[in-house]
Amino acid sequence: MLQHILPASGLLFTLENILWINIGVFIGSVFAAIPGLSVILCVILFLPVTYSMTAIPGMMFLLGIYCAGGYGGSVSAILINTPGTPHAAATMLDGHPLSEQGRTKAALKIALYASTFGGIFSALTLLFLGPQVAKVAAQLGTAEYFMVCVFGLTIIAGVSGKSMIKGLISACLGLLISCIGADPMTSYDRFTFGVTRLYLGLDLAVCLIGLFALVEIMAKAEKKPGRLDLNAEKIKDDGVITKDEYKRMIRPTIVSSIIGVMVGIIPGTGASEASWFSYNTAKNMSKRKEEFGHGSVEGIAAAESANNAVTGATLIPLLTLGIPGDGTVAIMLSALMINGLNPGLSLFTTQGDIMYAIMLGLILVNLFMLLQGKFLTSLFAKVVSIPQEILTPIIVIFCFAGAYSVNENYFDVGVALIFGILAWVLRKLELPPVPILLGLVLGSMTETNFRRALLISNGSPKIFFSSVYCIIFLILIAAAVGTIVRGKVLERKAAAKKED
Amino acid sequence: MKKRVLSLSLALVLLTATLAGCGGKKNATWKVTCPWAPSGVAAMVSQQAATKSTSYSDTITLVAEAQKGDAATVNTWVADTKANDTELVFVGEGLLSITSILDPAKLQFGYEDFVFVENLYSSIFVLSADASLGINSIADLEAYAQSAGEISVAVNGATGSEAFLAASLFGAMGAGSQLKLTPYQSAAEAAQAVARGETQFAVSHQSQILETWQQGGVTVVCAFDEKAIENGPFAGVEGVGSKGYPYFRNRCFVMARAGTDEKKVAELKELYGKILADKEVADWLHDTMLLEVDTMSVADVEAHIDNVKDIVNQYKDIVAG
Repeated sequence: MLQHILPASGLLFTLENILWINIGVFIGSVFAAIPGLSVILCVILFLPVTYSMTAIPGMMFLLGIYCAGGYGGSVSAILINTPGTPHAAATMLDGHPLSEQGRTKAALKIALYASTFGGIFSALTLLFLGPQVAKVAAQLGTAEYFMVCVFGLTIIAGVSGKSMIKGLISACLGLLISCIGADPMTSYDRFTFGVTRLYLGLDLAVCLIGLFALVEIMAKAEKKPGRLDLNAEKIKDDGVITKDEYKRMIRPTIVSSIIGVMVGIIPGTGASEASWFSYNTAKNMSKRKEEFGHGSVEGIAAAESANNAVTGATLIPLLTLGIPGDGTVAIMLSALMINGLNPGLSLFTTQGDIMYAIMLGLILVNLFMLLQGKFLTSLFAKVVSIPQEILTPIIVIFCFAGAYSVNENYFDVGVALIFGILAWVLRKLELPPVPILLGLVLGSMTETNFRRALLISNGSPKIFFSSVYCIIFLILIAAAVGTIVRGKVLERKAAAKKED
Repeated sequence: MKKRVLSLSLALVLLTATLAGCGGKKNATWKVTCPWAPSGVAAMVSQQAATKSTSYSDTITLVAEAQKGDAATVNTWVADTKANDTELVFVGEGLLSITSILDPAKLQFGYEDFVFVENLYSSIFVLSADASLGINSIADLEAYAQSAGEISVAVNGATGSEAFLAASLFGAMGAGSQLKLTPYQSAAEAAQAVARGETQFAVSHQSQILETWQQGGVTVVCAFDEKAIENGPFAGVEGVGSKGYPYFRNRCFVMARAGTDEKKVAELKELYGKILADKEVADWLHDTMLLEVDTMSVADVEAHIDNVKDIVNQYKDIVAG
């Protein structure tokens, strides 16, 4: 490795690369901050730009978009209670409440610092442990993937709010909606009612716009004009993060970065799963559980460090095994292949300098993301000082434009609207929307892996106990369920005491 | 004074812009829609061709766009376009020969809705086996199929080309009833599944199994082609056609909307021909993507579609149960 570092640095530290990194970071931050304009869409749009470049500047540009997109999604989650990208949904739970308390800048800064730490942590993991980690990841099969999904579903308890039953109802609704489209194991259609546009299922980014953005707008429409006035506290926001808050951020940030890397190396999973796992873990580990959902700095740090820690980790299977860790990275694969680089361990021998330049470049990308983010935070924070009667119509336009741009059709605009109405009805019934999102994120993956595992084992459930990894996940699931049950019992006892 | 200077400047800019537009040839931009993943083989080849288009034509610029969705994307394309629109689309045997038989309701188009422009490449699929099975040739495979109770094959998608190739090979060996197809979300996933022993075999493009094969996780048993593979890392791997088994290559045709001016189609075909003859493109297809440049005639296309249809009709019970 060391013999490659010096020549790789020479290849990386050029004006061209630094310029492309910064362009990528800027585009990624802004794009991801707009609901509906996902990172993957941004990478697809700008991919052709890289075809005329050589491998390193091309990858630096795309990595800039990818990493900054991880952070950019948190901006709208904090500012307008609408995650710019699906993986920023967990950030929204505490980011927006903190903004509501007049601490928008602080919330944005926490998200930025945590994102940078997560990104650099995963970049270092990629640089020093890439091939070793990839070998472990390659051993995880269908049964282990299913276990990861089940573990993910235990998070529902943590995001259900006051009523677990209502949370479960919402989650089931999300799981049901995730069944729409072609059956992953047979390709036959389900719940499409002859509508050809539904064959592919519903796009998560479109659903997100309805579930979180449009419903907010409907809620604002219900309020009397006087109640929409600006919160004076928000305008006085100084963005200070206290020493105590910095201290409290350390543990969730480190733990979540590790979780983010672990999730990221498993192909097929992604930043959404990582941020929810981390958020839940941070909540369980916190001494101030009651703050979660009400502006917890730990919650923001956990979600953001995890979703950015995924960025480097998804490159591990890509660069070492040629397997893209997620959809966005799959597109980056083509940027490499168009330059004649077929990723895999053999490439480390034949084109080691380029590979190490890309890996070192990821650290650089995160550093530039921090620098740009610090500058952009002040600009972004100004959004909260825009009067609601001006801001709301702008958000509406962005929402519909975002929904349209996902697949460039009006059908998705209709889907977003339907989800907005659905979310509004659910709000009236006090059913939480976050478990629906979890159901949508995990539904298809859970079902596919469950059915495929049973197909492999000819219907025997023993496959779910067949490896050490399965057993580890089973223990984690049991521990998570145990914690939930214990928490509920304690809650009931406390409630009974109060009544007495 | 200021206003005069401003007016003059504006007039000058407009005049320059107008003059810049004169004299140049009319340049038409043709959008080429690929209805599969942007990271897929077809999308990459389309992008590469688009990048080269301006080097070989003053009148046509190709712009590649990938919008996954398969049948749904092509349905929309057909609905939104008419003859002579500057729009092209990729259509492969998956839609024209497989979906048209298994699930025709999904398609709101037929072959007659298109006019063939060119086929850019062909890909020879390979069958890889878990290295621990020690299967290295078709003879080994035949012996294994006779003795094995169950034969599990990892494929990309439940009813794609890979599934039908596996079904036709084992079906023709008389082992169709033993075959268990395990669908994965991508070819890369399928390749990994066989390496970690979840399935015994996998069918994939050569480029998708290359890394796993190089790491020793799998052996490459045979190629779904007439003869042995001639070049590349898998040179010498036997073709199933040489033993009389059915096969087809993966091809993706660039199509214009039916009724498009024949002259225009011929121009596009000529442009693609020039791009594919470019040494850089041919080397890239060959060395990185492990594909072959494969220009075709309308008769070749129809023969390919019919060949795959025959295989689908014969083995659909194995695949679709």
